Amino acid sequence: MATADPDVVLRTVGLSKRYRRLLAVQDLSLEVRRGRVYGFLGPNGAGKTTTISIILGLIAPSGGHVEMHGLDTRTHLSEALHRTGAILEGQAYYPDLTAYDNLRVWAALSESVTAARIDEVLELVGLRDRARDKMRTYSQGMKQRLLLAGSLLHDPELIVLDEPTNGLDPAGMREFRNLIRELAKTGKTVFVSSHLLGEVEQMCDDVGIVKEGRLLTEESVSALRRRGEALELRVTDVERAVQVLEALDWVAGVTRADGRLVVDAPLERAADLSRALAEQHIYLHELRRREGSLEEFFLEVTGDAPAGA
Amino acid sequence: MLLPAPRILAAELLKVRKRWLPYVLFLVMVIGAAAHIWLLGYANWANENSAFDAFFRNETLRTFVLPHALPALLQSGQFWGSMLVGILTASVVGTEYSWGTARQALLRGQTRSEYLTLKLIGLVMVASVGLLAALGIGILFSLMASALVGEEVGGSISFGAAILMVLRTGYTIIPYGLLAFALTTVSRSTTLGVAGSVIFVVLEAIMIAVLSGIGTAWSETARAFLPSHNVAAILSANRIEGGEFFSLALRGQLLPVSLPDPAVAALVLALYCLVFLAISYAVFQRRDLQ
Repeated sequence: MATADPDVVLRTVGLSKRYRRLLAVQDLSLEVRRGRVYGFLGPNGAGKTTTISIILGLIAPSGGHVEMHGLDTRTHLSEALHRTGAILEGQAYYPDLTAYDNLRVWAALSESVTAARIDEVLELVGLRDRARDKMRTYSQGMKQRLLLAGSLLHDPELIVLDEPTNGLDPAGMREFRNLIRELAKTGKTVFVSSHLLGEVEQMCDDVGIVKEGRLLTEESVSALRRRGEALELRVTDVERAVQVLEALDWVAGVTRADGRLVVDAPLERAADLSRALAEQHIYLHELRRREGSLEEFFLEVTGDAPAGA
Repeated sequence: MLLPAPRILAAELLKVRKRWLPYVLFLVMVIGAAAHIWLLGYANWANENSAFDAFFRNETLRTFVLPHALPALLQSGQFWGSMLVGILTASVVGTEYSWGTARQALLRGQTRSEYLTLKLIGLVMVASVGLLAALGIGILFSLMASALVGEEVGGSISFGAAILMVLRTGYTIIPYGLLAFALTTVSRSTTLGVAGSVIFVVLEAIMIAVLSGIGTAWSETARAFLPSHNVAAILSANRIEGGEFFSLALRGQLLPVSLPDPAVAALVLALYCLVFLAISYAVFQRRDLQ
């Protein structure tokens, strides 16, 4: 059965995978919409790589199925993969070959890829000058960029990336994030797994949080930020300010954080809040809007400490 | 959807061409051919202190002077070729697992059966080129040695018959290549693939010797099902002129009359090939690749 919504590029339906006693993936259903960068977030061992391997047809699911580009992969896997690019965790290149020859080998798998296209993707990932060097001489960051180039050769609509920044230094991670954002701007859909909250927050439009093989929630990153929005202030008298603010009926809650007060109230009531405090001779040192963070949301959903916030 | 096979085959050849192992294996084959012609053949014949009588001296001549040198070269090439093709196969297939590049090919929409089939075709092409080149060098050595000797051994062979001999020998190498293919596909390990196929060749030689020694009806039946017994039967058809031997190389072995008919032997080897292929495809088709 194919998906009816043309805007959904990737959908998993009740996916599960059992290894003897271990249920690595449990009834996992998610949707990735066209042109979005979807972060598949979870701690190590949460089942992210297993899920991605099932999506890409490398592992047979114990239950459920996958739809890619509106095609059911149980019957149209090859067709769906021709429109998809992917990087999996770990090595996936020929160390004896140059970067250019590695791309030639991958290019052979798609009829449409020309020599000019190889040059184009090398340029895109910034490896054109080192294209004739053997892969074994490459740094980890360069290898990742080469793998990304390989996944883009056939100009796929969907790009699936499994922990693509693992092993990269901070500069390499930022560079890779920028590349992903650039790709998203060209209309590509990206599905990227990570255990790094900050990375997902900076790179993704949507996030799905997975833990112990189960998808706990799916939400857009902007909605998450809005959900945690609050007013943050520093005042002349913290104790009295708390009493005053808690008495206001439009304030849902007041918490203290490092000498500051975080007020759960509508942002448009900032002026009212200021006036209410001033009337009681409590004055503001600072008042600013505070955005919700993915870290808070992750903690709220999983009840765990985040791995790499 | 059928992927662009010629391009993928070209890519397979590129991968093999850029590795050092095929060249080392080719060198071993050339050394084997040189040892056969110059040490076993020419040096033996040229030894003035040789106690060989005229008959044996003439037989020695046949091991390195054409046309008799051809089946002799093919026979020793079959032994070394079986092992070296096994090593090449295990290495090419096994490293695709360890480098994670097998997954990479499947991620690009290649079906699993396409992947295995094109890998096999690529291996057959590389192995054929290597073995034929080594044979060519062996023939060149033979011509050089013949020129040094300056003696005729008689006998003739048509071009068609020579090609048939090469094809027969090539056919007998295939089961060993497929054995390595199956072992590596199942174990996902180059080491196990190489070790398994080499151990099989050695164990089989021991079993043939033991079963021949026992000499009972059941031991002969058991021997008849071993690949190398059938290989010997097929190679026994590589004869020039009549008689039971084409060279000294077969002296210590079974007489052709006690070997199965070459056509039957070819069927037995085909059965082995089918079993190894079925195992490879069945396992790879169902395997989780992570």
